[in-house]
Amino acid sequence: MIPDGELLRSRVVSALSPALEDALDRELDGYALVSPRNALLDSGNDRGVITFESGVATLAYHTGTDRGGPPALADIGSPPYQFELYALAAEALELPHRTETLRIPPGAAAERLAGDAELAARVRAAVADDGDERSERDAVEAFLENEAAVSDIRDAARTDALERAEEWGFSEALEE
Amino acid sequence: MVEAFAVASGKGGTGKTTSTMALGMALAERYDVTVVDADTGMANLLFHAGLADVETTLHDVLVEGGVPVEAATYDRFGMSVVPCGTSLAAFESVEPDRLRDVVAELAADTDVLLLDSPATLNSKSAVLPIVLADRVVVVLNPTVPAISDGLKVQEYALSYGSDIAGTVFNRVRGDITGVKAKAERYFEGPTLASVPESDAIQAARSAGVPLLDHAPESPAAAAFRTAAGRLSPNDGDHEDVAERFRTAVIPDPP
Ligand SMILES: Nc1ncnc2c1ncn2[C@@H]1O[C@H](COP(=O)(O)OP(=O)(O)O)[C@@H](O)[C@H]1O
Ligand SMILES: [Mg+2]
Repeated sequence: MIPDGELLRSRVVSALSPALEDALDRELDGYALVSPRNALLDSGNDRGVITFESGVATLAYHTGTDRGGPPALADIGSPPYQFELYALAAEALELPHRTETLRIPPGAAAERLAGDAELAARVRAAVADDGDERSERDAVEAFLENEAAVSDIRDAARTDALERAEEWGFSEALEE
Repeated sequence: MVEAFAVASGKGGTGKTTSTMALGMALAERYDVTVVDADTGMANLLFHAGLADVETTLHDVLVEGGVPVEAATYDRFGMSVVPCGTSLAAFESVEPDRLRDVVAELAADTDVLLLDSPATLNSKSAVLPIVLADRVVVVLNPTVPAISDGLKVQEYALSYGSDIAGTVFNRVRGDITGVKAKAERYFEGPTLASVPESDAIQAARSAGVPLLDHAPESPAAAAFRTAAGRLSPNDGDHEDVAERFRTAVIPDPP
């Protein structure tokens, strides 16, 4: 379901906070593969997949238990982990991110997997900011799609400019 | 060979002064640049240019019997900078029309003139920089009020025979590709750059120096250099520069 991404790093970590924080700071689109260190010794099938949307862990799935969402986070087990981080175009993740059963709440990965309440709060603040940004952007796009409203503003400004030209001594500059 | 740009937005706090200094410094790598704080009522370029403590400013030039503009011109960051003072009393005694002569004089001796313009369109002195400019750089933020005020600036500029050099989207957060594409349908000239919301810009302002001096490697600085590259000022126009500005608008009756 998720195509291969570009490998950014692969290492053994004893805590996930720094990696999750790094993903947040660089607003990463992509995914991480997380497996308990000892799992490497056996099948290698037993791993958690966590996807990121603009740096926020959005979806979790566990290959061993075939469970998704918050239960998948619980299935990942405890550190140290083998941690692999991949970057992927946001579009490639759009479809999986719509799979409700796999979604995790913002901050859940930081809280449950890394035990980092502070980072979880930062993640939630970033999501709230993003929401503000998006609604502002939607408002701007809606405004720009309203051609009549834009024309009204331009016409009114042009009328003002022409009316004031004489008062201000700019008549000579007027475009014919 | 001079081209005068007004950096304008019709709204305060969009980043006109930040943009003026940044574009000025970027253009100064190739041209002889003079920047003027033409926002004589709400001057703040001096705080961006390390000139907060200077004695003589544009206010002293624009009063009856004022000093010559050279006395208010400072070499800073590779440019000639003409700051304006912040005293309201001084502003009230200023004769705004004299800006025309000042611009004419400065234009005789530089390649690129950048006029940091007022945040309103409600008075003659506020609109004069737009009239005097050959082209206007419209500074936008990706918000409805900033874009509508930018549209008004554009109409004033076009009405008074000034061209639009393009738009700079400043204080951009996230991806505004859709906004830019839709805005381009209404604005003349290209989108010159998208400048991100940037801690480096705040820090430069606190340090009292231009962004390109404080954090030349920042993404915001790179965006302004891109914008400057797209301005490609006209060179090679050999008409009598001073005369051009003096007659750019009809003088007031004596
Ligand atoms: N892209 C940006 N990111 C963060 N702060 C900015 C940005 N652009 C401008 N600012 C800040 O906003 C304030 C207003 O900017 P300024 O250039 O003085 O605006 P104007 O001249 O249009 O009133 C300043 O404190 C400046 O540092
Ligand atoms: Mg300003």
